[in-house]
Amino acid sequence: MTGHPRERPSRLSRRDFLRRSAGTAVALPSMSAILAACSKPGSEPAREADLLVPRPDSPVTLPMNGDPIPADTPIEDGAELLIYNWDAYLYKAVLRRFVEEYSDHDITFRAITTFNNMDEAVAKMQAGQIEADVFFPTIDVVPRLAVAGLLQPLNHELIPNLEANVWPVYQNPYYDQQWRYTVPYVVYNTGIAYRRDIVSDDEIRSLDNPYDILWDPAHEDRVGVYNSYRDTIQTALLRNGIEDINTDRQADLDVAREDLLEMIDLVNPRDSINGAYKLLPRGDFDVHISWSGDIAAGWGYVNEYTRAEYEKLGYWFPEDRRGNVDNDCIAIPANAPHPRLAHEFINFMLDFQNAMDNFSWVGYQPPQNETDVSSLTSTEGLYSQVSGWAEPAEYVLPWMSDAVIRREDFDVGFRQAPLAPEVDDRWHEVWQQYKAGVDASG
Amino acid sequence: MSTRRAERQRIRRLTEPEAAPGGVNLPRWFWPSFTLPGIVWLLLFFVLPLYTVIAIAFGTVDPVLRTPIPVWQPWWWTTSHMTEALDKAFGIFSPVYVRTFLYVVVASAISLVLGYAVAYFVARHTSRRKRALLLILLISPFWISYLMRMLAWINLLQPEGYVNEILTFLHITPEPIGWLEGRSITVILGLVYGYIPYMILPLYAFLDRIDQNVLEAGRDLGGSPVSTFFRVTLPLSRPGILASLVIVSLPMFGDYFTNTMLSGSPNTTMIGNLIDDSINTTGQQAEAAVLILILMVILIVPIWYYLRSTAKAAEAR
Repeated sequence: MTGHPRERPSRLSRRDFLRRSAGTAVALPSMSAILAACSKPGSEPAREADLLVPRPDSPVTLPMNGDPIPADTPIEDGAELLIYNWDAYLYKAVLRRFVEEYSDHDITFRAITTFNNMDEAVAKMQAGQIEADVFFPTIDVVPRLAVAGLLQPLNHELIPNLEANVWPVYQNPYYDQQWRYTVPYVVYNTGIAYRRDIVSDDEIRSLDNPYDILWDPAHEDRVGVYNSYRDTIQTALLRNGIEDINTDRQADLDVAREDLLEMIDLVNPRDSINGAYKLLPRGDFDVHISWSGDIAAGWGYVNEYTRAEYEKLGYWFPEDRRGNVDNDCIAIPANAPHPRLAHEFINFMLDFQNAMDNFSWVGYQPPQNETDVSSLTSTEGLYSQVSGWAEPAEYVLPWMSDAVIRREDFDVGFRQAPLAPEVDDRWHEVWQQYKAGVDASG
Repeated sequence: MSTRRAERQRIRRLTEPEAAPGGVNLPRWFWPSFTLPGIVWLLLFFVLPLYTVIAIAFGTVDPVLRTPIPVWQPWWWTTSHMTEALDKAFGIFSPVYVRTFLYVVVASAISLVLGYAVAYFVARHTSRRKRALLLILLISPFWISYLMRMLAWINLLQPEGYVNEILTFLHITPEPIGWLEGRSITVILGLVYGYIPYMILPLYAFLDRIDQNVLEAGRDLGGSPVSTFFRVTLPLSRPGILASLVIVSLPMFGDYFTNTMLSGSPNTTMIGNLIDDSINTTGQQAEAAVLILILMVILIVPIWYYLRSTAKAAEAR
């Protein structure tokens, strides 16, 4: 799946082109795939097809791939914790703290970031090219990895922080009932980021349909979308009041297609992965589809690190909270060389303070019980505190409270769930037609 | 006997045993074996990857992980990806093919005009010392990665960048131009900038090889500098122009990065962007492989034309 908050490149501008530079890497066939192809190949639907397309109203319990490690497994002394993650999706200061806390065991860490998208990460795991202790999968690949036997079940005794600190919705998530393989890493919603020096808070909120601002010719050449077909098409669906953001109805997709082609005609939009967190703060866009975590981190990319510049950033999410809300995961690969240390790390990341300090740098919020709108919009995060070059910034800037995720959001919000292959193809075709750039006049 | 002829005979004596009794006896495979590293290189880095692309294009997709499964045996190939991609190529993708073709033609033409002038100047109107310096300067962009240069352009072309500052300072435009707001002109100029060194260097090599005596003969026969250029230099440099155009346009057809960096608008999408998008989308890598094959087939046309023209030119000689 193209584009996702996890695909947000690092906070250094350098990361943008590093990600894209290697972006041409063809997903090389794995050795197992090559060997499999020596016999007669087949592409019959997976027997576990239902498991691969979980929905909040039809949750899945993934098959156990062996037993979890025993609770008395000793912590691996002298281990190097191997972290398979997006580049810059984990605050190094927090990692260093983990190493310090476990200094009795003489551990170190190494981040492995040799993938450009989830497919590539999965392909490398499937091929056995990657040996890692922890991995940060998106929801859509969790069932696939578990069914393919590439993850190991978690020992809940070793991760008490989940039950103690994390929102109830994640005690039994729909994509991994009984959290057999995953814990949540961060949560986010998808709304619209805007420049408050061009669009006022009142202006966007007073619109009958605030999504219309992305189609407003007043912002011609200054509208941005993610180069992610799920998020961009989903925005067109929601604009039209279609709340099934995993729809398989062709009529819905046709509506989205027409809207996106109209958007080209009206505003000449541009798509990118760094538009919301970097280019909009820099002044290249007026409005942009945005994940809440991107705009929360946006203060780190303004032209001058002053409150006056921060105040130019705004964010809208539906007031009734009927929009997309989702999360990322942490899991342990089946071939993890240090599974006990991996459990320790997961538990460490679910600790309130560690999770919050990580949030201060990554921009994506942890689903911690102690978080609430008022505290997140009034407390300065660790990264801001140690950034001597910037004026202080709260976890989420006070006027962007729409970007704070509340636990109740999961009661009314819409989850972006994996699509069946045939449906996914049709979604992608809509995106391809948008990318081809045929305007509404044909 | 001229010196050159004597030299040729000496070489023949050394290399052909029957022609040189008592000389070094080299087995028949000796000289052909020099091609071995090249053949191995091509097999490993061209034939094998190309066959992998074909095997993915006609292959299947893992039903669980949705990663591509290449099918190596042609008798098990499936054409479903090919049919779907061809449908799109002649359907929703057709504007992209037309647009890419136009961009490449315009960018190649601009490169030719600019590149020819530079190559001509370096080859004809500079001293030997200056020529070396100019050639180094021409090659110098290669020392910096293409991506870095494109990133530099993003900074230069921003509303407050140097380009806009100069244009507004000189009153060429009253207010900054939104170069990066999804404009074809920016993408075309980006292509020209990225690939023009490939145009200049072969042109220079051809122009430098034109015999000075031929040009002098033209002038002796009463030709003005302009008419000598059009009637002698230009026709003689035709193979160089063709070669440069082929060298420049082939990578332009597959370019995706220039558009990604300098535009991102659907109004400037090129074929390379569609391929890039499919490669990075779950379950769509087989389609990407088909799109790569379609592009290869299209690019065979200019290569075939180039080979035919050079073969004809060689015959004429």
